[in-house]
Amino acid sequence: MSNWPSIDVLVKQVKSGQVSAKDLVDKAFSFIDKNRHFNVLISELKEQAYARATEIDNKIKNGQDVGRLAGIPFIAKDNFLTFDGYTTAGSNMLRNFKAPYQATSITRLLDEGAILVGKANLDAFAHGASTENSDFMITKNPFNETRVAGGSSGGSAAAVALDMAPFSLGSDTGGSIRTPASFCNVVGIKPSYGLVSRSGVVAMASSLDVIGPLTNNVSDGALILDVMSGPDQLDSTMIEKDKDGYGNFEPLKDLKGVKIGVLNDLMNEGLNDKIKIRTQEVIDSLKKLGAEIVDISIPSIDLSLAVYYIVCPAEVSSNLSRYDGIRYGHHDDSAVDLEDYYLKSRSEGFGAEAKRRIMIGTYVLSSGYYDAYYKKAQQVRTKLINEFKQAFSAVDFLVSPVSPDLPFKIGEKTDDPLKMYLSDVMTVAANLTGIPAISLPVGMIDDLPVGFQIMAPFKADRQLLQVSEIVERQFK
Amino acid sequence: MIEQKVRDSYKVTIGIECHVQLNTKTKLFSGSINDSTTNTVNHQTNHIDFGLPGALPFVNREAITLAIRAGYALNTEAQVFSKFDRKHYFYPDLPMGYQITQFEYPILKGGYVEIISDGQIKRIEITRAHLEADAGKSTHPAGANYSLVDLNRAGAPLLEIVSEPQMHTSAEAKEYCFNLYLAMKFAKVSDVNLFYGNMRFDVNVSVSKTDDLGTRTETKNLNSFRAVEKSIDYEVIRQIEILEKGGQIRQETRGWNDAKQVSFTQRIKENADDYRYMPDPDIPPIIITKDELLSNKKTMPVSAQLWRNKLISLGLELETTNLLLLAEADYDSSPLSLIDQAIDETDKAKTYANWIMNIELPLLERSEEAGENLIISSQTRQNVFEAAYSLKITGQINSTKLTELIGELLISKDKISDILQWAKDSGYLQNSNQDELAVIVKSVIQKNPKVVNDILLGETKAVGFLVGQIMKETKGQANPQIVNQLISQEINLLK
Amino acid sequence: MANTLSRDEILKLAKLSRLILSDKEVDEMQKELSSIIDFVSKLSEAKVDNLEVSDQVTGLESVLREDNPTDYGYDITELMSNVPYSEGDYIKVPKMLSES
Repeated sequence: MSNWPSIDVLVKQVKSGQVSAKDLVDKAFSFIDKNRHFNVLISELKEQAYARATEIDNKIKNGQDVGRLAGIPFIAKDNFLTFDGYTTAGSNMLRNFKAPYQATSITRLLDEGAILVGKANLDAFAHGASTENSDFMITKNPFNETRVAGGSSGGSAAAVALDMAPFSLGSDTGGSIRTPASFCNVVGIKPSYGLVSRSGVVAMASSLDVIGPLTNNVSDGALILDVMSGPDQLDSTMIEKDKDGYGNFEPLKDLKGVKIGVLNDLMNEGLNDKIKIRTQEVIDSLKKLGAEIVDISIPSIDLSLAVYYIVCPAEVSSNLSRYDGIRYGHHDDSAVDLEDYYLKSRSEGFGAEAKRRIMIGTYVLSSGYYDAYYKKAQQVRTKLINEFKQAFSAVDFLVSPVSPDLPFKIGEKTDDPLKMYLSDVMTVAANLTGIPAISLPVGMIDDLPVGFQIMAPFKADRQLLQVSEIVERQFK
Repeated sequence: MIEQKVRDSYKVTIGIECHVQLNTKTKLFSGSINDSTTNTVNHQTNHIDFGLPGALPFVNREAITLAIRAGYALNTEAQVFSKFDRKHYFYPDLPMGYQITQFEYPILKGGYVEIISDGQIKRIEITRAHLEADAGKSTHPAGANYSLVDLNRAGAPLLEIVSEPQMHTSAEAKEYCFNLYLAMKFAKVSDVNLFYGNMRFDVNVSVSKTDDLGTRTETKNLNSFRAVEKSIDYEVIRQIEILEKGGQIRQETRGWNDAKQVSFTQRIKENADDYRYMPDPDIPPIIITKDELLSNKKTMPVSAQLWRNKLISLGLELETTNLLLLAEADYDSSPLSLIDQAIDETDKAKTYANWIMNIELPLLERSEEAGENLIISSQTRQNVFEAAYSLKITGQINSTKLTELIGELLISKDKISDILQWAKDSGYLQNSNQDELAVIVKSVIQKNPKVVNDILLGETKAVGFLVGQIMKETKGQANPQIVNQLISQEINLLK
Repeated sequence: MANTLSRDEILKLAKLSRLILSDKEVDEMQKELSSIIDFVSKLSEAKVDNLEVSDQVTGLESVLREDNPTDYGYDITELMSNVPYSEGDYIKVPKMLSES
């Protein structure tokens, strides 16, 4: 159980003067101090956080409006550009980068009175499933320090699990919110593509990237999503927010009349037996709540990982072209000419995984290979989207495990990138199709957390949160 | 030196890519000012143009509208579906490491530009035209081992217009560029200021003795029509010289040194050259509706091409025509619309054209040189020209006086309600009064017996002297026809 | 198992990507990229007929901005604060072009 009450309770306490924003910041830093050895935060924004808390507390004393998240401390993955502190993306490339502008999602949270207390560790440029690719440090799993916290939002997930703040932000390109949420026993929401502005978040793969919250419970996540979502004049790929928002749904009493599809294709090879059994138990509990359980097959889902590992590196190679050491970022003083400057700045600033993805992306986009790889992948992606649409014409939600494995040992998969890539097998389909998905904690196996994934049709985020909340209640 | 005969045995083929900077207020993908005349380095930029992490493009509606309008100026209609792609290459003035352009689905396809070649109208077809973001500007201080980058231009909206390789002489290429310039200028989609690089030409040139095209080179970033012409002349000779010596043309990008009038190798195109085009996932596709097309089509001004064909139908010289077209584009008062009103009366229309060319434009030019801001409104022009024309055809004024009168009236700040009366009062009209003139003629003849004697001896040229004297007496107002008649009458009496 | 990508291909990709690789890195890349490319090559068996590509998933069209100057809420000079080399307001880079 978290040491933090739910966010709406906290906000009420702050607004009524029962606790101050400063008390909450004190509390956040007490857990940050206590858990520093988990390597969770790249930067701590103590001074700025206390200044903000004072500002909010003064406003409350003066009877001014302080917003829907008054005094709530939070932590952002360090690929969110923030006016406060550095924004490193976990990379040597941006180790000293100070953002001249701020992510829209951060600004929206701050405008509602939230307080940024730190920036969380991640795989450099969000490339990874374990946070082992961070150029700073490896975040340890809060439940077992020899194991990974998941990735790439490993710092964000561990921060919430370790009570450093009631919520954190992550980004999810192929499972980067859901996998660490599952490994760290927190709720991780991957909204529909385009629901939250990507402006000011270091791009990984632009057609797949989404921003979402990691929280102790579904309703906290729903509130944060409600604050962050909705069109932004700085991102032209955004969808409209649900007319009823996300923060105020009626809790369901049961799941009568709800059809839930089980993705059998994901329940077979490579899946840890104990996770398989736990997943089946969760499904049984849904049935008990009155849901109709249907077996669903998405024939192309076993190709989704191959599609992902073409589309994602292609976009990565493109998005990382801007890092040339000229306007910002790592640069090499010893370069003798422009070509040398490019080569040295990039080779030193990027880690092995970024280089690998740049090279794969360059390969699949290069002339002669484009049609066979990139174009073909985008066609199979269409097929996958169509198959999901068809599935959702038969059921309201689809469920699966989040990860085929329990949190694995640090170093266990680092020798073999392909093996690491395979851990995304359950999660990438939601990114390729743009649909919302959530990772819910469903207890422990061998003293390690395990998550359960629910997916909903594109733009059905509100419905997803509503059904997630009743599932969550079964495991409290 | 290449002999003309050898030169003529090669067929030259030219295709041109032209970058037109659209005159939107803000950039193609960001809200920074799009102004090529600025000199505040790196101030008209923002996180998007600067290519900061997490920055996203957002398409400017006006750029789409201007592309639609440029389409009509190029005799084509914008595509219903177009979209943006990323073109990857590393260059310091390309902040994102890719240029956002349209590769697979350009906003314009087809169309043509009409040129006059050997007195004939010839169509140069347009392959495609696409929207793209401009790069920043790099300067290379002489002798320094570094370059300087200004990103003010980064993200400026460009329309790249690609012609078919259908030109075969440098003169045709120059004509094409000029007519493209007029087309864009008349459509008001660009400021087309060549000095500020609002139009930049890349010329692809190849030569061949057979029907197969030879290997081409591309000379990039030419910013005047003359440079287009000269660089092609230079390149044709360079290529023929190489081929005549048994060499091979290398596919390459060349730069033009305008001061030295030579081109030089900039970059050799290698097989490794690979732009890795991909759809830009940050920008949803552009769909243009029938309504948008229609509303733009309806509001297009008269095109340069239509104007030119009208002027040519009057029998005007190409050079005159081109100057009038430039004037039309330069002045809001639309000098050509007055010619157009008279288009069915050839003499009147040609007379107006002549007056614009020889009276109005020099006046405007002089005023500009003097730093004055002379404005001739279309109403003033119309009033003056109509009155002057009626004086002309009724023979009430001689041509010298007519020119003076028109000039005076065009620059007059006073409103003159009755021009005919004013012309009369101001002494511009001809004296055609037989009796009055007869008196003067007689007196002049009497004063010049020697001249009269010469005339009687057959020196008919000497009549001119007498006419001149009479003009002097009458302050130039005497009707020369009547004066001539009276002189020969008087002389005949002496025979 | 033979590598799908040759050393030359690895070097060519590195050049295009502006990356320098040590000999050891080239070996590793060759092995790793080959196994990844082999893995994704299973797509070649997928039947897609003439399916459209999905490079975006929102179905959005013509999302346009009005042509008005935008105040982005920060001082433009801040953009230069991360620039490593500058001269006046210019960004300075090693010489890029040899003009003959």
